[in-house]
Amino acid sequence: MSEADLILGIVVFTALAFDFTNGFHDTANVVATSISTRAMTPQFAVGFAAALNFAGAFISLEVAATVAKDVVDAGAITTTVIFGGLVGAISWNLITWYFGLPSSSSHALIGGVVGATIVAAGSDAVFGDGLLSKVLIPAVIAPVLAFFVGGIAIVVAYRILARQRPGPVTRGFRYGQIVSGGLLSLAHGTNDAQKTMGVIMLALIANGTLASDADVPIWVVVSAASAIALGTYFGGWRIIKTMGTRIIKMDAAQGFSAQGAGAAVILTSSHFGFPLSTTQVIAGGVMGAGAGKRVSAVRWGVAGNIVMAWLLTLPASAVIGGLAYLAADALPGASGPVAIAAIGLGATALAFLNRARKGVPMPAQ
Amino acid sequence: MMLAAIDTTALWETVVASLVAGVGTTTIFSVAILGFVRASDATRSGRTVEAALFSVLALVGVIATAAAVVLAVVVMTTK
Repeated sequence: MSEADLILGIVVFTALAFDFTNGFHDTANVVATSISTRAMTPQFAVGFAAALNFAGAFISLEVAATVAKDVVDAGAITTTVIFGGLVGAISWNLITWYFGLPSSSSHALIGGVVGATIVAAGSDAVFGDGLLSKVLIPAVIAPVLAFFVGGIAIVVAYRILARQRPGPVTRGFRYGQIVSGGLLSLAHGTNDAQKTMGVIMLALIANGTLASDADVPIWVVVSAASAIALGTYFGGWRIIKTMGTRIIKMDAAQGFSAQGAGAAVILTSSHFGFPLSTTQVIAGGVMGAGAGKRVSAVRWGVAGNIVMAWLLTLPASAVIGGLAYLAADALPGASGPVAIAAIGLGATALAFLNRARKGVPMPAQ
Repeated sequence: MMLAAIDTTALWETVVASLVAGVGTTTIFSVAILGFVRASDATRSGRTVEAALFSVLALVGVIATAAAVVLAVVVMTTK
């Protein structure tokens, strides 16, 4: 095996590790509201989300414009740049998981790749127009839109169902949440697994293993779908707790409105070509559904922490991605990526052990 | 220069479509629940005509919600 193939193997492994953390981290987006309103048990909710994330990865097999294609110059991409970007994204995902903060895996990936590209090829290799129109503008608009959609939807629902018996109304919305949660899981699998497939394809093309116009190999599709589904199944309970109970205490109608708002914004944005973060959208929907009932029902301090994590995601993952690239490139051949991958695995294991010792909180039953 | 790269028409369409889809789905599903609850109450009170009318309302709401879900899956598979 040549050194280039070894680096490629490490990049593919790292991309699948990112996909796992993506599912692990973003599970909260799709299941937290269903769990907190008791529409589903936690175990059923994560199993259901994992299965639909797996299925979602197969729905659309055309590799959507990869995160790197619209944001950085593809000519500047090497397997080491991709590796640096992935390390930046995984590190930020794990840091925000450790502190129980929902943040965007997609933006972490974009930030990581941008940071590594700037260090490798300079700022001219980053497309400012693409970054603004494809990442920054949707990043601002999507959660605000979900906030208003979720808020208006819950006001309308409460108006229609005013003075009805609460028991059957709650039961009805709990059934509805099975469908709205399922749609969110499917949309998440389709959007996010595609990004990992795109990154692996870029690495295969950069290494010369595949031609630039080659179809996505089936092993890439199956492995990306499996990694995101496994990550979802082992879901991040800390973030589920934040999303499901710490922003607002939700009833079933609010859960349905938040998930409906999230699914509507994700699907329409994707349809019109705006890649966005499922995390930001569903958090916006949850806050909107809370504020629609009573503005003071939203714990704005928790919401502020989430906003802070969003603001930090791009620059923080870019800095980590840039540093990871520098370190990987400083050592000869494959020894850089091998050493960083080993350090990363060790740090991840330590973080999990530390969290396990402190106890992993479970959402309210 | 950078602002020219922003597709404001697509952004505006996204805002309108999201509002219609998100608020619309919750509205029709709420109408379905209203139909079920009122039909159940009317049946218990022996008001059969009212029960039938609310059952139809519930059915229409469920069908409309199912149509919205199918449309969402179609949007996902064709994007």
